[in-house]
Amino acid sequence: MKSRSMLGRSVPGTSLIHRLDARVKFIGAIVLMVATLSARDVRILAVFLLWTITVMLISRIKLKLIMRSVRPLLFIIIFATLLHLFTVEGHVILQLGTIKVTREGLISGGMTALRLVLMVVNTSLFLTLTTTPLAIADALESLLSPLRHLRFPVHEFAMMMSIALRFVPTLLDEADKIMKAQSSRGADYDTGGPLRRIRGLVSILVPLFISSFRRADDLAVAMEARCYRGGVARTRLHTLKLSVIDVIFSVILIILLLLVIVVEPYLPPLIAV
Amino acid sequence: MIHFKDVSYTYGAEEGQLPIRAVDHVSFHVKKGSHVALLGRNGSGKSTIARLINGLLLPDEGSVLVNGMDTTDSLDIFEIRRICGMVFQNPDNQLIGATVADDIAFGPCNLELPIDEVNARVDEALRSSGLTALRDRAPHNLSGGQKQKLAIASILAMEPECIILDEATSMLDPMSRRSVMELILELKEKSDISIVQITHHMEEAVLADYVYVISDGSIVLEGTPAEVFDQFERVRAEGLSVPVHIEIARRIADTTDTYYRPEDIFSFEGAVSFVRGVIESRTSSESTGDLDAGYEIGERRGVDNASQDLDRERVIEISNLSFDYVSDAGEPVRALEDVSFSVEKGEILGILGHTGSGKSTLIQHINGIIPSKKGTVVVLGRDLSDRKTVRDIRRHVGLLFQYPEDQLFEETVALDIAFAPKQLNRTPKEVERAVLSAARRLGVESILHRSPFELSGGQRRRVAIAGVLAAEPDIIMMDEPAAGLDPSGRDELFSDLVTLVDEGATLLIVSHDMETMACLCDRILILNNGKVAGYGTPREMTSSADFLQSVSLDIPSSKRFLNCFVDLFPGLDTNCYTAEEAACALLRAVAEG
Repeated sequence: MKSRSMLGRSVPGTSLIHRLDARVKFIGAIVLMVATLSARDVRILAVFLLWTITVMLISRIKLKLIMRSVRPLLFIIIFATLLHLFTVEGHVILQLGTIKVTREGLISGGMTALRLVLMVVNTSLFLTLTTTPLAIADALESLLSPLRHLRFPVHEFAMMMSIALRFVPTLLDEADKIMKAQSSRGADYDTGGPLRRIRGLVSILVPLFISSFRRADDLAVAMEARCYRGGVARTRLHTLKLSVIDVIFSVILIILLLLVIVVEPYLPPLIAV
Repeated sequence: MIHFKDVSYTYGAEEGQLPIRAVDHVSFHVKKGSHVALLGRNGSGKSTIARLINGLLLPDEGSVLVNGMDTTDSLDIFEIRRICGMVFQNPDNQLIGATVADDIAFGPCNLELPIDEVNARVDEALRSSGLTALRDRAPHNLSGGQKQKLAIASILAMEPECIILDEATSMLDPMSRRSVMELILELKEKSDISIVQITHHMEEAVLADYVYVISDGSIVLEGTPAEVFDQFERVRAEGLSVPVHIEIARRIADTTDTYYRPEDIFSFEGAVSFVRGVIESRTSSESTGDLDAGYEIGERRGVDNASQDLDRERVIEISNLSFDYVSDAGEPVRALEDVSFSVEKGEILGILGHTGSGKSTLIQHINGIIPSKKGTVVVLGRDLSDRKTVRDIRRHVGLLFQYPEDQLFEETVALDIAFAPKQLNRTPKEVERAVLSAARRLGVESILHRSPFELSGGQRRRVAIAGVLAAEPDIIMMDEPAAGLDPSGRDELFSDLVTLVDEGATLLIVSHDMETMACLCDRILILNNGKVAGYGTPREMTSSADFLQSVSLDIPSSKRFLNCFVDLFPGLDTNCYTAEEAACALLRAVAEG
């Protein structure tokens, strides 16, 4: 009944970002990840910041949701920032006992934080928030299809992915129900020592596994009954097509990448870290 | 179009287990455009026969021909499967697509049709099954009935000549079941599609053109539904049920030695007018001393018992309970609204209502799984708003969910049943005693050493129930304990449940089945859209057919039948729950007046 739609947290919309081809977004997200993490010059990072803010505005997704996607990585971001803050040598501005904070450390820490946040936000904007898991699965299938020639089971892989995605909410509901049933039998998931809690986990995982095996069995039979015989000549339902906006987006991405790889090394030093 | 010639099939011949002859020299045929029902109890072999039709299983002996094609011919097998589409029992485990439209497209895509054709077929199938509005919905947001309709639509998209329904409605509630059957009948009318329905529900078998009753792998009875159900003793002996009106009419006909034809008493109206005819001819003639069928309507709990009770201790008191939540679609749902009632010690309370009326939500409040936000829940004198009390309450209140066999996880039956008492920190000796006692009550003491996963569905359910009983709770709540069981399985289970209460426990049973609950319960609580629509004895709750219809529940069939005779016998007690009792009541009324 109540299922938490954790996966598929994509926000429906009709913005340019939503309409981009999933394959382009997938590759683009990877490129942006590499680019933002490689940028060292503060001016280049400023360009990326501008780019990210532009994309946020175009996508029309609420800031609250975007920030929520940063939350899981907040710990790492803070940790990395603090690391830079306290370990980089240079001109000391603050000292508390043996702990030194240098000006270089402050800048380095700030840039690290900015890089990480930009990376996460870009990935979320292009993948998690504006692309349904199924679109990503279709994109992967299309991108991996050349591997067919290397005997990689591309179709089977894609079929497995889309079936798995379809069943995630169902499995969550089932886990919920089993947990309630075992709780009603006195199972305690909140208290008790580690041994008791592990035993508690077993009481949820084993039934889930068993039912998953049974489900897989039933599903295979049902697929056979509907004449499934592998993907060789099967009609493709969702065909991904590139359009003008995909081309424009790709060009911009290439420019951003070139900024980092080609331009940055030749910039006069401002504050290079 | 489907021909079975002397077909046999044996399970387990390879794995070193005892081979089971599931199908034993079965021969029958299904003509194009006809509706055939295969009726039988669980384990009778009917599902095996279904899978032999479309070649999911191949016969060990004999042959299966579909439109002249043999299922063992690997070249033809896909055409056979296209022609004979199959809808399976578990709604979820046959849906593959991420959306309704995607799932319907799965079949046509497998047939390698061009994409335009696929899309056209999807649209057409959506229209035929009435699911057009749901085309982009994800499967987990569909109700059980909608899922099965989707499964049917997915088959229709392949343009089959026959639809095989393998217990397709067993996991659905009565309303969904009717809705799916309506769709099937509609399809039958509009096209020439054959229907093969594997079921243990007689309400579906009566809709067929021809019925085969399967038992232990062979056909033991066949004929038109009228002919088959006329032989009600034989049908009953197979653990199946018979339409009540047919049995009543037959019993009266037998006792009064009146001639009848099976077709006359087959329909409800037919049976009523037949019995009226018999009564009228009797009252206008001779003595009736020989009419006593020799059956005493004895003391039975459920009819009047509750009203005679002294003021017993209240073990559960619910006051003004309300519950809201937000659905997946983001809409606020009021699951319970201002519900108030109480339960007395040792009582059997039935909680009835349509799907979504809040029954499951209600009982989950009583053992604290759902914390109460508005209103009060007091169990055994303790208010559940204190979270510490909740953990303690679980020792005294047991809750059995629907399809409880899904919760089994231990290596042996004994270990699984022992889970609850162990969690309650009982001593090993107490645990052993509790396990044995619970196992004995549910009749599973002989399989304590076996793995729960090699047992039959019915056995696993009993093990799950024993698992809850082993905690020796004072209050036991069960959500549809008989869900998915065939008629004899259901009867056996309920008779075992009654003995529990005789041992001092209080029982709350959530159900759709007014027929059974009216016999079983001391009192009945009826929920409708989250609100209490009725609360009283079974007699009170079943007195008005209009009321029951307004809350989407069925009036017990025998009562519905007897209601047609109150004009002749104003004093007739219509609260008889079996056909036998109803027939007796009528005969007695004739004898007296």
